[in-house]
Amino acid sequence: MSYHCPVCNKVSSSALDLARHMIGRGDKVHRDWINSKGFKYSELLTLQFKSFGGEGFKALSEVLEKETKVND
Amino acid sequence: MTSKFSVIGQRVHNIDGTEKVTGSAKYTFDVVLPNMLYGKILRSPHPHAKILKIDTRQAKKLIGVKAVVTGKDTLGRKQGIWRRFPELCDEEILCRAKTRYIGDPVAAVAAIDEDTAEEALDLIEVEYEPLPAVFDPLEAIKEDAPQVHDGVELNININRHIEWGDVDEAFRKCDHIREDQFKCSSQAHVCMETHDAVASFGHNGKLTVWTSTQSSYYIQRLYADMLDMRESDIRVMNRHTGGGFGSKFELDSAQFCAAILSQKLCQPVKIVLTREEEFTATKRRTPMYYFLKLGAKKDGTLLAKEARVITEGGAYTAMGATALYLTGFFSSFPYKFPNYRYDGYRVYTNTEPSSAMRGFGAPQSTFCGESQLDMMAEDLGIDPIELRRKNGMTPDYEVPGQAFIQSCGLHQCLDKIEETIEKRGKLPPNHGIGVASYGFMSGGIFNWFNTPYAFSAAVVRINIDGKADVFTGACDIGQGSNTTLAMICAEELGIKLEDVRVFSGDTGICPPDLGAWGSRQTLMSGNAVKRAAAECKSQIMEFAAAKMGVNIVYDLDIKDGWIHIVNRPERGVSYYDIVKGAIRGKDGVAIMGRGHYTPHRKGMISPAYSFGVQAAEVAVDVETGRYKLVNVTTAHESGTVINPVGIEGQLEGAIMMAGGYGYCEDQPMDEGKILNPSIADYKLIRSLDMPETEILEIDTYEPEGPFGAKEAGEGLTNPTAGAIGNAVYKAVGVRINDLPITPEKVFKALKEKEKKKKAK
Repeated sequence: MSYHCPVCNKVSSSALDLARHMIGRGDKVHRDWINSKGFKYSELLTLQFKSFGGEGFKALSEVLEKETKVND
Repeated sequence: MTSKFSVIGQRVHNIDGTEKVTGSAKYTFDVVLPNMLYGKILRSPHPHAKILKIDTRQAKKLIGVKAVVTGKDTLGRKQGIWRRFPELCDEEILCRAKTRYIGDPVAAVAAIDEDTAEEALDLIEVEYEPLPAVFDPLEAIKEDAPQVHDGVELNININRHIEWGDVDEAFRKCDHIREDQFKCSSQAHVCMETHDAVASFGHNGKLTVWTSTQSSYYIQRLYADMLDMRESDIRVMNRHTGGGFGSKFELDSAQFCAAILSQKLCQPVKIVLTREEEFTATKRRTPMYYFLKLGAKKDGTLLAKEARVITEGGAYTAMGATALYLTGFFSSFPYKFPNYRYDGYRVYTNTEPSSAMRGFGAPQSTFCGESQLDMMAEDLGIDPIELRRKNGMTPDYEVPGQAFIQSCGLHQCLDKIEETIEKRGKLPPNHGIGVASYGFMSGGIFNWFNTPYAFSAAVVRINIDGKADVFTGACDIGQGSNTTLAMICAEELGIKLEDVRVFSGDTGICPPDLGAWGSRQTLMSGNAVKRAAAECKSQIMEFAAAKMGVNIVYDLDIKDGWIHIVNRPERGVSYYDIVKGAIRGKDGVAIMGRGHYTPHRKGMISPAYSFGVQAAEVAVDVETGRYKLVNVTTAHESGTVINPVGIEGQLEGAIMMAGGYGYCEDQPMDEGKILNPSIADYKLIRSLDMPETEILEIDTYEPEGPFGAKEAGEGLTNPTAGAIGNAVYKAVGVRINDLPITPEKVFKALKEKEKKKKAK
């Protein structure tokens, strides 16, 4: 099972890792994709540095789990 | 016990020591060339502003002025040391449209002398449109904050994530969890020699630069990028260098402006930054907000740690991105956390850029981590040294997915420090001893610079008289690396130290080496030199074996200039005679050896790590909050000690620098303006403030290092702030979580404590 970035096709082993990649990359195309899913990139980032536990990553990973999973 | 080494381990003074103490050593500051001009730089008085117009006409008319340049005279490229990531190359050096901090360069002048150049700066008229500015990273990440760089959302320059284990699950299993917040201040490098350069652009289109730098190769490459030149048309030489501490391995305004002016005039141009420019317009230690969560079992087993860090990046990326990563990695050090998570954010602000400084993010993480560990020990009712012993790293430990620790003497260091504290006995009232453990890397594995070369390289040439010349791109910046490398070469060849000459830091004659940063030269450049010397030795041995006619089952070695059969040292020949014969036998060609070193399969951070524990004793005056550093004792392990004198020098310097970081050094600002840009106002620990110091060297052997050696430079700056904080707490029961731990903060905390006591 792998997760493919919908923007640059980077392969991650979990939806959480993919969320980290997408938020971490943070360029316009990745931001736009995140925003198109009803999130606000800036809010996800803010959530990350305002709380312990990686809440920003987790929120995005729930969407990625459904949309980017590839059965290898 | 007799040492197996002849040169290594001897107490040796620096090979350039005589030149330095007699004042005959020539620094870039001393370089004078025929027809040389002097340059000065005009800087932005605004923290954030659009440049509407620059009028240089009056300045150009001033008698003695030869040229005035602005951003329009450049190619408009942006420099950055993270060359693999173009978006992180964000500094024009000579700004064209916008300035982003007070001190950003906007124009430069070359004139017949410094006074004329200075006068010309006053005649340059710059029309600015000041823009809203932001100075604190916690403000800069707000949605409505001014944007320092267009298109960078929330001013987040870069973020970094490190994680292993199942952190959330581990926290659920903990008996006790602490969450604490810390603030780490800025610090200036305060090199004895300010940034300077003499650039000479010839009519042949070639550029020669004398400069004070930690990496001649980086500067050569960055010049090539910024000036669109071929690397080999640029020669960069670092002569004697008066300190670097992380401030001198990026292209700086003195280097760039001198080159642009020289290119325009085809005359040499010298620029020496003033002390005020050094404080306000170079780079500085990265201030950080640290949020730490630490979980443990009742018996003191540390199960999980989570770190969130927001750093004040200032106006440009510089080396701050590396500091962001390393502070996250070293936040787990030197303990075996089975579960660890780090999220770091570097935030642009309209302040002087923050970057690398000795310790490279680790002094910050060590201060916060070691303070919190002592708090955890108190909560659990466990002795702080015992807690460290229970969780400390051991040899052959793998930091999950990150690093392989081969040699590690942390536990021996803890034992030694414990003995020392016991020996000091009962302390007088208001005295306290605090401890802090640390670890550090011996050079970085990362290649964000994108060099195609080996990380370190050296050439050794054996001359007809048997003397060896070492050519290395490594840079001696005052830390004594040339001496260390000469010792390694002498040991490998079996000759005397005085038989070795070192030519270093000159891109015209030396093979590329990434330079002096990340405590890399002893291990990386040392390995390259050792290998180059070994290649020479093998050529000499071939000739010696033939000449001696020894049975091929015998091994030969060289010691003290005598080539002999191992185990039968009386049967041998003179090294010097053999070298003469060998060169004749090779048709007169000098004996040459090449060596290089690039770490492979050593994890993501470093090929080796040093460890140590420090104990600081303070005496606090409870009436005023003033305290004195009474004693700092460090148990340190750096593998085989190449030169004990060198380590002692590093340690004393580190205590002065890291003690200052913990005790008094800071760069307060008002609207982005640094308020103490002079040696008079910037408080340093001076010789009279130095505590009594003691070093307890722990014997270890690092398989990856030359003769078993590893770093003994930056790591020593990591523990002191944490040890001071813990000592102040032990002495008077107040905990200061924001650096520096000034007497004012201690005084306020004591008053607060008194108030609370009365209220009870």
